[in-house]
Amino acid sequence: MRRTLLGLAGAVALLFGLTAPALAFEPVNVVHTEKVQAGPYDLTVGFSTWPVKAMQSLDFTFAPEGGVADKKGTLTLLYNGKEFNDDPLARHPRKREVWGLDIQALPEPGTWAFRFDIDGPAGPATGELKNLQVMEQPGPPMGLSWAISTIPLFGLVALIVIAWRRTRTTV
Amino acid sequence: MDITAVAAPSARVAVPRGLVPASVVLAGAVTSLVGLTWDIQWHTDVGPDTFFTLPHLFLYAGSAISGLASLAVVLLTTANTKRDKAVDPVVGGRAVGVFGRTFAAPVGYLVSGIGAALFLVYGLWDQWWHGLYGFDAVIDSPPHIGLLLSISITMVGAVMVFAVARDQKWGTYGVAGAAATLLTFSMVTVLGLRALPGGLVNTVNAGSAFFSVMILFMGAYVLNRRGGALAVGAVVAVLQAVFWWFSPWATEVYAHATGLPLRDYTDGVPGLPNMIPMSLLLVAVAVEVLRGLPAWVPGLVGGVIITALAPVQRILVYGAKFPALDRYVATVVAGAVLGALAGMLGRRFGQMLRHLAPVKENTHA
Repeated sequence: MRRTLLGLAGAVALLFGLTAPALAFEPVNVVHTEKVQAGPYDLTVGFSTWPVKAMQSLDFTFAPEGGVADKKGTLTLLYNGKEFNDDPLARHPRKREVWGLDIQALPEPGTWAFRFDIDGPAGPATGELKNLQVMEQPGPPMGLSWAISTIPLFGLVALIVIAWRRTRTTV
Repeated sequence: MDITAVAAPSARVAVPRGLVPASVVLAGAVTSLVGLTWDIQWHTDVGPDTFFTLPHLFLYAGSAISGLASLAVVLLTTANTKRDKAVDPVVGGRAVGVFGRTFAAPVGYLVSGIGAALFLVYGLWDQWWHGLYGFDAVIDSPPHIGLLLSISITMVGAVMVFAVARDQKWGTYGVAGAAATLLTFSMVTVLGLRALPGGLVNTVNAGSAFFSVMILFMGAYVLNRRGGALAVGAVVAVLQAVFWWFSPWATEVYAHATGLPLRDYTDGVPGLPNMIPMSLLLVAVAVEVLRGLPAWVPGLVGGVIITALAPVQRILVYGAKFPALDRYVATVVAGAVLGALAGMLGRRFGQMLRHLAPVKENTHA
């Protein structure tokens, strides 16, 4: 009984010992920055990987000079000049002193732009990060990735076909 | 110390054969579903991800529980076969040989076990993917769909192990529970259909209609009794209601416990529960009312109900805009065609499941 309890305690300690450090969320490492001028507001756009590749997720940070506390705004993503998405500028979950997008990927290669509509003490203004070049996606072609990932589905279909042929009578 | 014990056989409750392993497989499947709804909410409302978040542990544990239970049944059945002991097909169905005659595996547990084993393989594929593409929180990435499909296979196995015992009360309840779990889970897997070019058709809505009608029919035809479709639909509605409360609640509690803030501008809409068509109960009623007609008719009606009401649900929950009329009509037409097909397939799958064990009829149904 004592040995069982000791073993159990050891397993629990191992579980929490291993889990605790793993729960420490990675800090946001900015490896490249670009400057955007939105009227009176200086904005620094940070990237956690550079260059940006399609489908590869990264942390984006948007840091206005003077902080985010007295400002709000909207971020609009543009792909090849067309609006792709617009959302309010939200604080980065792991870097709360600035706005940002956490672990986000731009889905397509090509020319992207980020438009910032900012409203703050100096009034509303708009600025744009133009010509953000996104390179081709890394890794195997998507067709191959999907083929590998849907093997269970084809296995299930094969099972159904076999079962179908063996169960022609109604019970 | 006197350690002699008096045998008291009258005090022991006889557990029906096959109930325990089937319940453990279903418990694993439900654990996976809880992990999934929690994980989706976590990414929407909080964000940061590691391998060891609690929702992830639920997902891993779910497949582990189902997989180990399936393995135990397969090993026991193999041992009994080798000793020439009689194997009762009520435990997971008829045993089939695996790797020649090395293992004797009841077909239901073979399927649930293969699903759990595939989960491990796709876990590695997912790990490699995240190494290359980063720790994106995209639910419909190819490896994530592979993982979801693997869990779905375990859930199909869960339906099978209960379908074998459909002439007993626990088998009936189990089929309704397992089919509802599979149906609810599939509403996330269909997000993979976003990768398909649908033209005007909303492929996710059409896919939800197809899978929910098919699984509803499958459950109804395994049970082959009045109220079968309603039972599956009611369990789905209960899961939807419970998760509607649970997902945001658990996310908030876990965020507080780990000292993480909620995102700015979270809308508070439960992610997974909102993917389940609220109109499913209506579909179940339609299936019951149109029972006498060929399966494609109630199937078509079900497909139309789900695709026609999907935008209404989004309007009610999010305040979303009604889609463009041509897109709406195209999706409802696709829903009608796929619903009719799903009705026929679901009926046939139900009959296939009835073949799993040669049970005596008119004992229960």
